[in-house]
Amino acid sequence: MGRLKTIGRRAFLVGSTAVVGGVAFGFYLYKKPVENPLLADLGSDEAALTPYVKIDAEGVTLITPRADKGQGAYSVQAAMIAEELDVELDRIRVDPGVPSPAYWNRALADEAVPFAATDQGAMATAARGTVGAVMKIMGMQVTGGSSTVADGFEKLRIAGAVARETLKAAAAQKTGVAVASLRSQGGAVILPDGTEIPYQELAADASRIEPVTEVVLRQPEQWRLIGKPMLRVDTVAKSTGTLDYGIDAKLDGMVHAAVVLNPRQGGVLSGYDASAAKDMRGVKKIVPVTGGVGVIADNTWRAFQAAAAVECDWGPAVFAPEMADHWAELEQAFDTDPDSRGRDEGDVENTLGQTPLTSEYRAPYLAHAPLEPINAVVLIKDGRVDVWTGTQVPRFTQNNVAAIAGVEPEQVHIHAQMMGGSFGHRLEDEVARRCTELAMEMKGVPVKLTFSREQDFSHDYLRPAAIARMRGAVEGGTVKALDLAVSAPSVLTSQMAERQGMPMPGPDSSISQALWDQPYGIENYRVTAHRAQNMAPVSSWRSVGASQNAFFHEGFLSELITAAGGDQLEQRIALCTDDVSRRVLETVGEMSDWGRELGPDRGRGVAFCMSFGTPVAEVVELTNTPDGIRIDNVFVATDVGRVIDPVNFENLVQGGVVFGLGHAMNCEITISDGGIEQTNFHEYEGMRLYQCPQITVKALEHNSRIRGIGEPPVPPAAPALASAIFDATGVRLREMPFNKFVDFL
Amino acid sequence: MRPVLIKVLLAVVMSLPLPALAEIAVPDGPKAGTVARKEGLEAWERMFAVVSHPRCANCHVGPSDRPMWSGESYGRTRPHGMNIRAGESRIGAETLPCATCHIGENSDVAHSAPAVADDWRLAPVEANWFGQSAQTICNQLRDPELNGDRHYTEIAEHLGHDVILHWAWDPGGTREPAPGTLEAHIEDILIWGAAGMPCPE
Amino acid sequence: MKLTVNGADYALDVEPEMPLLWVLRDELGITGPKYGCGIAQCGACTVHIDGMAVRSCSVEVGAVDGEVTTIEGLGTRESLHAVQAAWIEHQVAQCGYCQSGQIMAAASFLEMNSEPTDEDIDAAMSANLCRCGTYPRIRAAVKTAAAKLNGA
Repeated sequence: MGRLKTIGRRAFLVGSTAVVGGVAFGFYLYKKPVENPLLADLGSDEAALTPYVKIDAEGVTLITPRADKGQGAYSVQAAMIAEELDVELDRIRVDPGVPSPAYWNRALADEAVPFAATDQGAMATAARGTVGAVMKIMGMQVTGGSSTVADGFEKLRIAGAVARETLKAAAAQKTGVAVASLRSQGGAVILPDGTEIPYQELAADASRIEPVTEVVLRQPEQWRLIGKPMLRVDTVAKSTGTLDYGIDAKLDGMVHAAVVLNPRQGGVLSGYDASAAKDMRGVKKIVPVTGGVGVIADNTWRAFQAAAAVECDWGPAVFAPEMADHWAELEQAFDTDPDSRGRDEGDVENTLGQTPLTSEYRAPYLAHAPLEPINAVVLIKDGRVDVWTGTQVPRFTQNNVAAIAGVEPEQVHIHAQMMGGSFGHRLEDEVARRCTELAMEMKGVPVKLTFSREQDFSHDYLRPAAIARMRGAVEGGTVKALDLAVSAPSVLTSQMAERQGMPMPGPDSSISQALWDQPYGIENYRVTAHRAQNMAPVSSWRSVGASQNAFFHEGFLSELITAAGGDQLEQRIALCTDDVSRRVLETVGEMSDWGRELGPDRGRGVAFCMSFGTPVAEVVELTNTPDGIRIDNVFVATDVGRVIDPVNFENLVQGGVVFGLGHAMNCEITISDGGIEQTNFHEYEGMRLYQCPQITVKALEHNSRIRGIGEPPVPPAAPALASAIFDATGVRLREMPFNKFVDFL
Repeated sequence: MRPVLIKVLLAVVMSLPLPALAEIAVPDGPKAGTVARKEGLEAWERMFAVVSHPRCANCHVGPSDRPMWSGESYGRTRPHGMNIRAGESRIGAETLPCATCHIGENSDVAHSAPAVADDWRLAPVEANWFGQSAQTICNQLRDPELNGDRHYTEIAEHLGHDVILHWAWDPGGTREPAPGTLEAHIEDILIWGAAGMPCPE
Repeated sequence: MKLTVNGADYALDVEPEMPLLWVLRDELGITGPKYGCGIAQCGACTVHIDGMAVRSCSVEVGAVDGEVTTIEGLGTRESLHAVQAAWIEHQVAQCGYCQSGQIMAAASFLEMNSEPTDEDIDAAMSANLCRCGTYPRIRAAVKTAAAKLNGA
């Protein structure tokens, strides 16, 4: 027991350094150390020096609790620990660990408070601390909000340094050599005579001494890994087909399941007839699940076939049945009391005058559609539940599965799986819930549930459809007034309150995300958000509210700048109030040689958006060919303070641009009879390779805080494209997807 | 043809199952000169409804090497998605063989790639039907320079034994079949031919 | 029913209309080929039959009369195919779920067309969907692989 207590305190090292401020909700609880989850299964010769580093006879394992859905999270988390721990990335193992409050996400709190990312004032800082404390108490282990690097940058390096210094102290004690004379390199402590003692040989000793709490983090010029190109830990496996995703999980005796759910999303199952399906080959069981029917078979395809043969009687639609009704709901919401007024500066009403410029913009629903359909394996045996699934919310899933299985959350063991994309879909856990319902019918047998692509599409939780109504005035060649009103359903209410049971009182900042918090100094500037009701269930979609709001804000700003007779880039630079953002805008101008002659039938556009604290400016250049518009080039400048891995960084930025452009050009989800109409990629393509432009990326490092890059490149893509299309063709696009109005090559 | 292309053509053929015995016997039809021009033109009208139908015309794209997506099941008319180029080979051998997706058996799964027991391919460049007028297509069909030097009875024979053409009436999924039946279409070709292959003015 | 996959012979007891993909994944445990759409829209399931790329979700196993090669049989960690080596060199993968299919498509394409133009690459590789948007790196990796295969 003595040993457990000692190591228990070590967990505090990590927790305490991450804690800043300390307000509200009980100082004691807030400061109370969280239990180190690695201690539970530890062998006698193993040491868990922090919740992030585990050393056993096999070697060093780095715990990377933020989920990897393709963004390279495991690699960047491992790199941040390895930088200080002095281990090589190709010599360590990476493990996502188990769900634990020790892995709460503080950086996510930054997005949940009503202060702009550029606001470092006392009120904003205190508010972030308060929300952070709440998240810690709730054990919010969430991957989202582009927060993995922001949250881990100090925490994980400190974890590495604490482990390293404790190992060195153990080596000093063992050898009698002074700590100051010891070095560490390549997973070993090195004595002055060059003798190497591998960390594993020091693990048991290290666990018996007091940990070294005083650590000094290395300076950037001393870094071996951070900022230099690195080979992601998953690249080789992903290039040889040997990486197992959740859908590839193989367990002894496993059976395969499919579901057919009410196409009127959220509707009930009124009755069903499985007489044709039950005798089909390989079918083991057909049972009702929430909102539909599940088929358990010996093979996924047989389960799909049988599910299609079940005749179901579906309950009615639970929200407005037709798309026209949804647009009407959005329109009506403008007449309701605002959900928030994030910005109200100057005297908007009087400066707008009698004849303001007005515009209405629209954004459709969108699906996440990660290429790996959602899936889970659940095994219920002897009061214990094991879940293998790709998830961004392991703690929620643990609780939800426990409630269905009728066990305590501690009895639910989540085995986090690598994900074939997410874009926000794996912030939801409906597949784990449905699979648990099926596993309850097959206790002792592992049940794998794979959603067919059609079920995945038709039961996705969508990016909100939204409408913006905007007014503005220009004077003396510049923007004098900007009045933005937006109407959208609430992601927080739908996702957190309705599906996760976490009450979300107060305004939903995601409705006006990237509208109210942009670093523009417009004298008369107002942002009003309205909450639409009776819409389809909605969710966080890569870049959340910014994905549609940047199109609204930047699209209309472009119209105003055109009306003022100004240059799109120069005016944005002139209006910008944040030094870091201004440099990003200036840089994208230099990269694209803004203003040079483009030639006939060509056009360019620029857009800017700060989301999740990361400013991104993008320039799109295109050609209007006789066969349609061809996007030639995209230039991207951004600033995350510090780039961990420049290769992965460039890849993520390029991918974000493709994601933003592809959906703006080609994608919408529409509703009919209370259900989603699009069922597969033939009517929801995103972008394919032939439409992909050349994408040039430049990262600046002036941001005072380190920020994420998974989402921020998405929002500026649509408005930059719309602006370039206007430049080349004179057609002003105010609604996505653009292919309803113009042809693309 | 480049050697690489021969290699792939061979691969395409080899990896396909043997063609199903789906050929149909072609009847003799009326004797030449025994059918009135008016009757022949009526037959042509029915033929045109077939050849201009998306199930046929989408792959009769003339000098273009892009198959088309048009008709009810596609919403709006546009080139085949995915930037498909059938190339000079007309089977996609230069880049992506049609048979990468259009392989094996026809499927009833909605929106899946249809297939027949033969190479999926574009029609020859000369058979340029997509978006063309009845007059233009009719003149193509009776011009030996453009119809593969075929007598009208040989055109009918071609319909009888080329199974990719039969697919038009059995397209699978939720696709709308070409109008009428294969047998009626063959009969119309024979009537039209016997009337002297009349074309609309 | 018999099937040869990656050089190994298998005896199967399955319906002939079962798509090859599900035979590979659920009957044989070969999970490199991925399920993404089931209707030849995404290409994640791409394998080779006698060297030619096909969508295994759309081929009934009963119609297969050639040797099947999956990503696992194309090359291994220790003995990489030139296309796989190029994919690693350019670090193409993000989530990686489509990449087995992308690599199989590229390998078959370069076998047919060893000196592709940019236009050829855009035509050959646009039927494989990547939701993460790794296209700039796919283009670069295909060129690198072509150069390698040509002994450059």
